[in-house]
Amino acid sequence: MRDGINMARNGIPSVCLITEEFWPQAEFVAASVGMPDIPMVRLPHPVAGTGEVRIAAIADSIADQILDRFAA
Amino acid sequence: MSVLLEEASEEAALERLHALDCTDGLPVVVPTPERVDRMILASGLDADLALGEMGPAMGVATVEKVAVAAVMAGCLPDHMPVVVGAVRAAVDPMFDLGDMQGTTHCLAPLVIVNGPARHDCGGVASGFGALGPGHRANAAIGRALRLCMINIGGGRPGVSDMALHGHPGKFTYCLAEAEEHSPFPPLHVSRGYRAEDSVVTLVGCEAPHSVIYSDDADDPENAEKLLHVLSIGVANLATNHAILGYGTAVVVLNPTHADVLARANMNRETVAKRLWELTHLPAADHDRYGGGFRRPFESETYPAFASPDQFVILVAGGTGLYSMVMPSWGGGAHNNCAVSAQVELDQFCEVPGASAS
Repeated sequence: MRDGINMARNGIPSVCLITEEFWPQAEFVAASVGMPDIPMVRLPHPVAGTGEVRIAAIADSIADQILDRFAA
Repeated sequence: MSVLLEEASEEAALERLHALDCTDGLPVVVPTPERVDRMILASGLDADLALGEMGPAMGVATVEKVAVAAVMAGCLPDHMPVVVGAVRAAVDPMFDLGDMQGTTHCLAPLVIVNGPARHDCGGVASGFGALGPGHRANAAIGRALRLCMINIGGGRPGVSDMALHGHPGKFTYCLAEAEEHSPFPPLHVSRGYRAEDSVVTLVGCEAPHSVIYSDDADDPENAEKLLHVLSIGVANLATNHAILGYGTAVVVLNPTHADVLARANMNRETVAKRLWELTHLPAADHDRYGGGFRRPFESETYPAFASPDQFVILVAGGTGLYSMVMPSWGGGAHNNCAVSAQVELDQFCEVPGASAS
């Protein structure tokens, strides 16, 4: 979340990828730094360690959402 | 009966309790007769019912005295059945409470709550940050047991509680098992109770030690690697287990790590057995580092734990990289074993005005 915020503050278009379980924390951080509307995309939890096949499937499932957020 | 002290104000009463060494060093709720009576009523038991003796002072833990501790700890009446259950486990002779309070090792009774009491007794947390801070029931229930150990058991630092350093869990040390997020049967079911029972399991153990492991579903050795790092956590050469060869270790798997083991078709029993196998250590290391505890071994390795039964394995915490292990002591007549007691929820009755201060 902090990475996305810092990149956005530096003028780099950013979308934060947040897993389900960390969504409340992401909203908290976004609000606390005054950027409650920073683009975020929700991922299932967990992602890390779940195997390349599953990670590739997750990437396929959210790629369009990421592009949509960039385009918004 | 308890002695009734009188002071002119709440503030003066609090300072009196501090001066009498009746606190854990933090402010307490002053146990007025009205507050204590309400807590006794919540237990559904008679005030003078003796639950047992608490060492080393061998004070008698009556329901009234336990209620005093519960009020001081900040408990709600809803918490009282779990507090009583924890005290019942602590006074079980198998728990060796007096020895545990008197040792120089750093031990605190970890209170593990299973069954419906997790929800019915104030909501004992089992997820993110279950070991604190921020969860009232966990904080207050664990603290109530500690205040019983201070004021009934007589455990006072440097006098009768001889822990060289103590540890933060000696303020409070309580969590529930995340049964809904566990691939294994609930801990109390594995210990012989029915799923619908509410049970408190106590283990006198050290502070939690973090074990990091990164799940990798593509690694055929995933589960074995996790078990290996857990075994290092519970029985490295700095632990009593490695040196004394006794005691109980608590392994608190986060749901991710529990899932790693379940995907390898393991259950609580096979996990414990493998941990026991992996905590067979080189006899040469014991000979080098065992000091006054050196003893002859017939083989090149020796077990750090007497049997797989010495592992208390539960699931709690948020999902992610970290599990927790709590090594223990190994002393006492019963070698620092886990003790369970049932929580009597059917004794509980609604307390009029319980939400008032």
